Amino acid sequence: MSSKTISNGVKTEIEKITILPGVNKFGEKEKFEKIEIKKGEIVAIVGQTGAGKSQLLYDIEKLAQGDSKSKRTILVNDKKADKKLRFEPKRKLVASLAQSMNFLTDISVKNFLSLHLKARGKRFDPKLIREVIEEANEITGEPISPEINLLNLSGGQSRALMISDIANVSISPIILIDEIENAGIDKEKAMQILVEEGKIVLIVTHDPTLAFNTDKRIVVKNGGIIKVLKTTLREKGIGHYFNWVGNYNLELREKIRQGEKVEKTELFCEPIK
Amino acid sequence: MEISNGVKLVIFAGTPGSGKTSVIKYVIQELKADFKLFFAKFDCLKTEDDQFISERYKIPAIKKLAGELCPDHYTALEIPKIIKNNQDKDIIFIETAGLCLRCSPYIEEGLGINVLDVISGEPSRYGPILTKADLVAISKGDLISQAEREIFRANVLKVNPKAKLVEVNGLTGEGTIDIVESIKASPEIKTGKLTLKHSMPSAICGYCYGNKTIEEKAVHQRYLAGKELKNLIPNLNCGKCGFKSCNEFIRAVLDGKTEKEQCPFIKEKLKKIKI
Repeated sequence: MSSKTISNGVKTEIEKITILPGVNKFGEKEKFEKIEIKKGEIVAIVGQTGAGKSQLLYDIEKLAQGDSKSKRTILVNDKKADKKLRFEPKRKLVASLAQSMNFLTDISVKNFLSLHLKARGKRFDPKLIREVIEEANEITGEPISPEINLLNLSGGQSRALMISDIANVSISPIILIDEIENAGIDKEKAMQILVEEGKIVLIVTHDPTLAFNTDKRIVVKNGGIIKVLKTTLREKGIGHYFNWVGNYNLELREKIRQGEKVEKTELFCEPIK
Repeated sequence: MEISNGVKLVIFAGTPGSGKTSVIKYVIQELKADFKLFFAKFDCLKTEDDQFISERYKIPAIKKLAGELCPDHYTALEIPKIIKNNQDKDIIFIETAGLCLRCSPYIEEGLGINVLDVISGEPSRYGPILTKADLVAISKGDLISQAEREIFRANVLKVNPKAKLVEVNGLTGEGTIDIVESIKASPEIKTGKLTLKHSMPSAICGYCYGNKTIEEKAVHQRYLAGKELKNLIPNLNCGKCGFKSCNEFIRAVLDGKTEKEQCPFIKEKLKKIKI
């Protein structure tokens, strides 16, 4: 599947969004020419509390045309966004994974996924449901069975299922991840699944594993974008190492859970493939 | 009623605890510098929201307690008076008591906003409070998953396909900008004629006249006694008897709490009958 947005029955593919400069909270023009984010890219948004991260996300979600507080313009596929695309009430450009990641519905995983498909106006598709669960199982250490109740999933299983669901079932082409609890999941794998499905991923995070597993970092201060850092190969390596440490930790937890003894530790991770 | 300057009327409805007041706080904060605002809080027995809003945001605010009356009927009765007394304002906010799903006094000429809590259950259970709203502010979305939020949105659109949906967070103010934009784009009331978006439920039995005994005969007798009094009074809800409405006055008479002569119109009629 790819990132398609339905607007009046016309499907609009989002290949790229472009941020054109606006002003910071002192009214000074932002110092960049343009920032392009392509389909399949992961971009981190970093900065202190109150620096303007939410305004930037709002501008992207609303496809601002110089009419928001920041006066930024967001282009879709190099063009000004269609009015229908901006104001269609049924459309939601940005789907978000918030800090608290719980399910509250008392229903089996399989039935829940088919309910979500139905809400999207799609038919029951057993193959897609199987794929969603399989992909979730690649992110979490403890496999999810289709028959298990959502309320009985562990924290890691819930997060894995949510990420796989957002990649495969959600209508929104842009995914926002806001400081998620990420214990119990393979973070690198999770991001990989999202971008493979052709989503644009924006992450608000200061977690090194996530922040270095991106293409670039947009730095925000005083309501304005002050710079864009391209994630270097060295940083990617550091991120990859910490992800490996996290996964190794998950492995050890699983061994402890199974009642095994662990007498020696691994010290070196595999390089990035 | 003549209204010289256009005034916007924004009605917030939603069950208790859904986050109405929290959303209104952020909306007022955003609008108070550029517009003259007025806030009226309707409730059943007690509220201090009016005081809180006027102290924190320095805008005029009042409270209206419905007491024995249905709070939504009472709101509808009071809206014209509130507009009449606030013609110098730009936007009037009305927060309803929010108890009844069948009822919420949205008017055609204003903006109706339903603050709907995502963990409050199936949207199809809700009546006009949701189905007739112009804007549905979905609150507490951060408590559930993205997938559940999408299912919830689809279910809301099933019962109210025309609604504008905004996801709000009463703690952080997320979504406020969208509500403010809708308020700015909403119509101004220019004439005195206001229409409810839907009819209120009927109030036609002995219980509506304050009966407490659960028995068919007692309910009927109370109904007949109430109807008899109702024929004597003008139904103007003028308040000269000391009660907010004629129905409340009738209940008080039937409960023996006041005399029917307290209504100046009944007094006149009784005099004429005696002659």
